[in-house]
Amino acid sequence: MASQACTSGICGYLCSSIGKKQLMGVTAFLLIGFLKAHLLGNFLLLLGPAAFNEYGHKLMSLGPLLIIAEIILLAIFLTHLVLAISLVWQNRKARPVKYYSKQRTGRGATFASNTMPYTGIVILIFICLHLWCFKYGTYYEFDLDGIIVRDLYRTVIEYFANPFYTAWYVLAMIAMGIHLSHGVQSAFQSVGFRHARYTPLIKKLGCALSLFLTVGFSGLSIYGYYISTTLNY
Amino acid sequence: MSKLDSKVPGGKLEDKWEQYKFDMKLVNPSNKRKFNVIVVGTGLAGASAASTMAELGYNVQSFCIQDSPRRAHSIAAQGGINAAKNYPNDGDSVWRLFYDTIKGGDYRSREANVYRLAQVANNIIDQCVAQGVPFAREYGGYLANRSFGGAQVSRTFYARGQTGQQLLLGAYSSMMRMVAKGKIKLHTRREMTELVVINGQARGIVVRNIITGELETYHADAVILATGGYGNAYYLSTNAMASNSSGAWQAYKKGAMFANACFTQIHPTCIPVHGENQSKLTLMSESLRNDGRVWVPKKQGDTRKPNDIPESERDYYLERIYPSFGNLVPRDVASRNAKLQVDGGRGVGSTGVAVYLDFADAIARDGEDTIRGRYGNLFEMYQRITDESPYKSPMRIYPAVHYTMGGVWVDYNLMTTVPGLHVLGEANFSDHGANRLGASALMQGLADGYFVIPYTIGNYFASNVIDQSITTDHSAYKDALQSTKLRLNGLLETKGSQSVESIHKKLGKIMWEHVGMSRNADSLQTGIDKIKKLQEEFKQDVNVPGSNKGINTELEKAIRVSDFLEIGELMARDALTRDESCGGHFRDEFQTEEGEARRDDDKFTHVAAWEYNGEGKDPIRNVENLEFENVKLTTRSYK
Amino acid sequence: MSAQSMKIKLKIWRQADNNSKGAMQDYNLDNVSPDMSFLEMLDLLNENLINSGSDPVAFDHDCREGICGMCSLMINGEAHGPQKLTTTCQLHMRSFKDGDTIIIEPFRAKAFPVHKDLMVDRTAFDEIIAAGGFVSMNAGNAPDGNAIPIGKETAELAMDAAACIGCGACVASCENASAMLFTSAKLSQLALLPQGKAEAKERALGMVKKMDELGFGNCTNAAECEASCPKGIELSNIARMNREFFKSALSNK
Repeated sequence: MASQACTSGICGYLCSSIGKKQLMGVTAFLLIGFLKAHLLGNFLLLLGPAAFNEYGHKLMSLGPLLIIAEIILLAIFLTHLVLAISLVWQNRKARPVKYYSKQRTGRGATFASNTMPYTGIVILIFICLHLWCFKYGTYYEFDLDGIIVRDLYRTVIEYFANPFYTAWYVLAMIAMGIHLSHGVQSAFQSVGFRHARYTPLIKKLGCALSLFLTVGFSGLSIYGYYISTTLNY
Repeated sequence: MSKLDSKVPGGKLEDKWEQYKFDMKLVNPSNKRKFNVIVVGTGLAGASAASTMAELGYNVQSFCIQDSPRRAHSIAAQGGINAAKNYPNDGDSVWRLFYDTIKGGDYRSREANVYRLAQVANNIIDQCVAQGVPFAREYGGYLANRSFGGAQVSRTFYARGQTGQQLLLGAYSSMMRMVAKGKIKLHTRREMTELVVINGQARGIVVRNIITGELETYHADAVILATGGYGNAYYLSTNAMASNSSGAWQAYKKGAMFANACFTQIHPTCIPVHGENQSKLTLMSESLRNDGRVWVPKKQGDTRKPNDIPESERDYYLERIYPSFGNLVPRDVASRNAKLQVDGGRGVGSTGVAVYLDFADAIARDGEDTIRGRYGNLFEMYQRITDESPYKSPMRIYPAVHYTMGGVWVDYNLMTTVPGLHVLGEANFSDHGANRLGASALMQGLADGYFVIPYTIGNYFASNVIDQSITTDHSAYKDALQSTKLRLNGLLETKGSQSVESIHKKLGKIMWEHVGMSRNADSLQTGIDKIKKLQEEFKQDVNVPGSNKGINTELEKAIRVSDFLEIGELMARDALTRDESCGGHFRDEFQTEEGEARRDDDKFTHVAAWEYNGEGKDPIRNVENLEFENVKLTTRSYK
Repeated sequence: MSAQSMKIKLKIWRQADNNSKGAMQDYNLDNVSPDMSFLEMLDLLNENLINSGSDPVAFDHDCREGICGMCSLMINGEAHGPQKLTTTCQLHMRSFKDGDTIIIEPFRAKAFPVHKDLMVDRTAFDEIIAAGGFVSMNAGNAPDGNAIPIGKETAELAMDAAACIGCGACVASCENASAMLFTSAKLSQLALLPQGKAEAKERALGMVKKMDELGFGNCTNAAECEASCPKGIELSNIARMNREFFKSALSNK
């Protein structure tokens, strides 16, 4: 519900149901962009510690730019999160008395669309843990052609050495995949893009992208687990 | 001079309305806001009248029984709306539309009214297009037309099979705009129970709030009824469940005369009754007869499946009797012949009350795909209701009550015999005579609402003294409230053994049998006796559960049925006194040797307007003679 | 035509009025013919209830030919029941089997309060229309209907959107009780047609604002509305409304 204070202009837009959804969609696109970049970086794990740690070092050496980027990313994420909470809250209020029996028609809503808030919560928990584990995790040193840099490779492999951690990681990535399988096409719809020919394609591409990200991230975590059995830190 | 003054202005037919608009007195724009108008009903006529008067500046109070004005039964009209735009360049004109309508009505309507209808028809199309009604268009972007109902020109505008819906939503949206502006006060889920007349002028109404059960009074300077027809007197009809005649009937009881009650239109192609629990009949578009062949088995009581009956044992009776028009004879002729076959024991289906409409030949000739393209949605609808595929076996059809041409008598201003009370649309009797042509009902409703009443109401206000000091504190309101209370309590206290629905069904059967497609004096007299007996039965033995507090759907029905019981009697009386056959009124005694309708223009070129004469007394039959100065009366022939 | 009659068990929401608490109640109904419409089945139940001195079940209905939008009902958890593109009044008992249990509830949403039993108040829809679902023109001498040609494709799209009957199934079936499909159908119809373009901005802003104020939920693009719409109103209308609203909101002062 639009609060009475904001009625026009940007404020009115942001307070409206559609404005919020569109901002959800736009932040979703940006977050997906981040995920893709993240995954591409992660692929460097396959090339061994030197490549991965060099990549990490280059990122770190961006200095203030990196901090700005991180703040922007955090803002995007928080916007997505706050909007989600506000929308879910409103949606719950919109039907105070629940149905005794409610069936999905099977022609519209899917498991993914019905569980968006839940998969979202899983992702939120995952991100908190993820940052705690990796960004703020153990600091090992690594000698990169004479320069001492952080050995993030080792931190990563150490976590994945724990099969429970890897299993949780994979599950979280599946939740993310489910979230995105509805989220991608939903974001297109929210910003108003729908076309008889392209929308079915977007739906397929959205699912393919979700699959790619899920398989990519979780595949790398399983790879990490596998590598951990061969290395001896 | 009779009590009925049609107030048709002088001058040439073509100039009457233009001249009259100029001659009428006007209410100056700043004074309009001092006048209040009540509009009952939100169908095409009611919604268009309410929005237009509000646009002019009058304060409008609008009432409807549904939860929203958008649900009035005009919404169900499928076919289209006529206008003499002559876009197809096939020789149409205002004159031709006028002539077709007056001839179609079997010369029982007023020339001047019908001409005005034809004149404003074009404005209606323009108005609706401007509102955003998505009429069908050609590839070039221009409006499409189709032919309809036997007219020789293509003049029907349509929006798929939902023309009524789209026109109503257009009028409704205009209305909602005025609601937002505060010029219309909307009172939904209200049912009118009484008209209030003060100093001889219609000033207000009593309504029952369907949700709270409370009785409410509303006061204004004029009252407009657009409450639709009385087809539900037959119980089964194509009308909506809540369609009723109570508003019009209460007006009758307060002095408005009721005209040509016997003119009912029976539509030939409806899905037949399937059992005792059926609540309504569904119309299948008349266009089906373009390709379907109507037949019955030659043998009486033939129970074989239709596809097992060989060609030689089928009787394509319309093609046999009317070789030149065949299956395309007008509605009344097709309906009557179906009844004759069923009465002769050759009806089909499990009930034996239906005839076949067979598409096998058309499918063999044009292919199933072509037929699907033409009638696919209708075939689907038929299959949904009957579980039979018209592609595989013939449809079963039977006539059903569809429209009532009769209604409250109004003059050229659409005002009744009660000053200040105006009646629009199907609720009045004015434009269709004894038979209505296809795609004319929508035209009339909108003509009345958009283009006639906004002018004539101003003339009424400007030329009459209306005491504006009166409020709902006036004793007339207390009396009206009291009488409604007594009436409702009477219904609730009877506590008999029969449900309202069961008595309504009984009335329907009597009406269908005695005042149905063909009538005769004996049967009508028996019908009147039976209805009177049923009226007594209703009074003594009806069971209306619940109280007058809150929602009581049975009480709502009881009010309506008690009025149907009385209107049914009037319909039979009117039919009994009209000793001729014309349009929707066919009397067995008055037919040609070939079995066709025989009008009696010498004795019956008039409107019969019935005047209420008090409880238990016979009503008085008044006559308004119809003058035909511009058209010659001819006999219809379809052989 | 199958003539054998069925026995049906019914679980129906009964609620005396808006202020009372309601509950599901069980009924048994015999002699149900497969040819009956769903509402005729309820008529039969009511006839039995009346004859046994009980209060009949209140439900909304009127035209019974699927166009007025008055009938509603959640039937076994689906708006207007299991059949695609069908209103409750056009649903027939042959869609059910002898011995079936049928659960009947009212359309539920904060913006659709229950009047009684299965009857709900949908006047919120009227308020949305009053907030801009019209073309501001007075009756009178409108320009000729053919003055502005409208391409057939556009006219057909507008008609697709205009086919909405305002029944509220979209709200009822939506997980979030959102009225986006209803609102977007009217908004689309008028946004597509040249007649509606002049006030497209005010319309989009007004209708969406009103929709939000009335307490309908938000759209999560799950498409249950489209799936349960008896008139096949498409989700593309919501996308169009999203575009229209974006344009209007950002150009608004």
